[in-house]
Amino acid sequence: MHLHTARLERLLLAASPEMVEGDSGLLRFAAAQARPLYAQHCAACHGADMHGNPAIGAPNLTDAVWLYGTGTLYDIERTLLYGVRSGQDQSHNEADMPSYGLRGILNEGQIRSVVQYLLQLNGRPYEVQGANEGRALYIGTGNCADCHGPDAKGNNDYGAPDLTRNTWNSGSDPQSLYRAIYFGEHRIMPAWRATLSLEQIRALATYVYAVSHPQ
Amino acid sequence: MASISQVSQPQRRSSVARIATAFLFRPRRSLFLPVSALVVGLVAASIGLFRPAPRVLTAVPPGYAALVNQKGLLISDYRAQVETETGKAFADTSPAERSRILREMINEELLVQRAVVLDLPETTNEVRTNMAIGVNTQVAAPVLAYEPTDAELRAFYDQHRQNYTAPGSMTLQDLVLHIGGYQNADQTVSQAQADATEAVYQLRSGTSVDYVMEHFGFMRSGRAADGEELDFAAKLHLGDKLYQVAMTLHDGEISDPVQDWDGMHILVMQRHEFPKVADFSAVRDRVYLDYRTAAANRATEQNLSQLRRQANILLAPGLSE
Repeated sequence: MHLHTARLERLLLAASPEMVEGDSGLLRFAAAQARPLYAQHCAACHGADMHGNPAIGAPNLTDAVWLYGTGTLYDIERTLLYGVRSGQDQSHNEADMPSYGLRGILNEGQIRSVVQYLLQLNGRPYEVQGANEGRALYIGTGNCADCHGPDAKGNNDYGAPDLTRNTWNSGSDPQSLYRAIYFGEHRIMPAWRATLSLEQIRALATYVYAVSHPQ
Repeated sequence: MASISQVSQPQRRSSVARIATAFLFRPRRSLFLPVSALVVGLVAASIGLFRPAPRVLTAVPPGYAALVNQKGLLISDYRAQVETETGKAFADTSPAERSRILREMINEELLVQRAVVLDLPETTNEVRTNMAIGVNTQVAAPVLAYEPTDAELRAFYDQHRQNYTAPGSMTLQDLVLHIGGYQNADQTVSQAQADATEAVYQLRSGTSVDYVMEHFGFMRSGRAADGEELDFAAKLHLGDKLYQVAMTLHDGEISDPVQDWDGMHILVMQRHEFPKVADFSAVRDRVYLDYRTAAANRATEQNLSQLRRQANILLAPGLSE
């Protein structure tokens, strides 16, 4: 049994991420290996159920929405290795969501209008006048389109979320959206390379991949 | 049989005991050291013999792209480097591109290892500086993740108002009446005080500065600039005592006589722009940046304190830090 486990561990790490993604046996093995690791190292932020925690902006790991990359095993593994804004050069730290309110870029009324526009984009109830003004701010003064794109579909290269999928890391109610714009977002995730072994990181990445890509 | 054994056993015991006593209980000093050395040597040799030698990897382990002097280069890093350099997905890159980039990474690793051998952190300022910056960056990262609330920013602003204060400026004249012993003046302090008091009265009544100077013998001290100067410059030129008085004067006001080391002074304030604290809303952006910088500095200082507690630092005699 021990030899079998060692062989699978070796296989899990030796295989390319793409091969692991297509191997249900390895996916199951990785999940079994990773569960206790997840409970020990990840659950505190992302939750035992992996649904994230809006209070601290920890993303839901079970959906198919990704801040960085497209959710491949390789992408997830990179994030685990080097983290987000962890202070390491290879971590994801290409951009920040500025604090529009604190920095005085938008006033409170303008931020409320942008929130209305976001509600409109996601097919939720919104105020027409506010949404129209918010759209103009989104393209103009706010420069939101620079990162999130003119179509608000985001950019996974530098962690700008898609604003049209109604998936929000820091809460989906209008007040939470308002706070995210007013105060900005500057979340971090530690780099695990120094703490966990490569095998453990691969197992965790595979586990997160498997959970977010149900067969 | 019983009687024989009873007789011979004590005899055998006594001969064995004699030998044991000779070697164990009365050791010869000349043998003690060589025997001890032999035992220690055997123990040391057995530890070396049975301890596993450091494992030398002869093949690249899973998860790595290469081993350079036993130091692994991660497959993941290699792939990221290929994609970054070529701007293409890894699967779309050519074997030539991949080989070139792997070669570059190996070269870089060799140079880094050589840098360690050459002790560059010890000998090269740039390396030392960047290493220190790297540590501070990592220490500050979690702190910078915190977004301050409006109330916290306002509290920070209130605690550091001096940082958000525009400096004031003043245009003034400084008249001095020298007192006896200084530049041939023959007045006593009390005479100078009386004259200065009268001069102040006249100035406040509208008498011109030129008339007062001529009538009472005042001179321009040379401490005030001809035109407007910023507060900090005025402080340097006037000296603390006169500056404190100047800071209380508004446009057009005349000071009471002020005795300083060179005589009796009268300050005539022509125009005084007092320092202005910028409104919070006008400097919110700066306050935000300052707040974060201060938080990062606190984190790096705490880290240094921790390092110092753990460190063994000795200073040469006569030196202090």
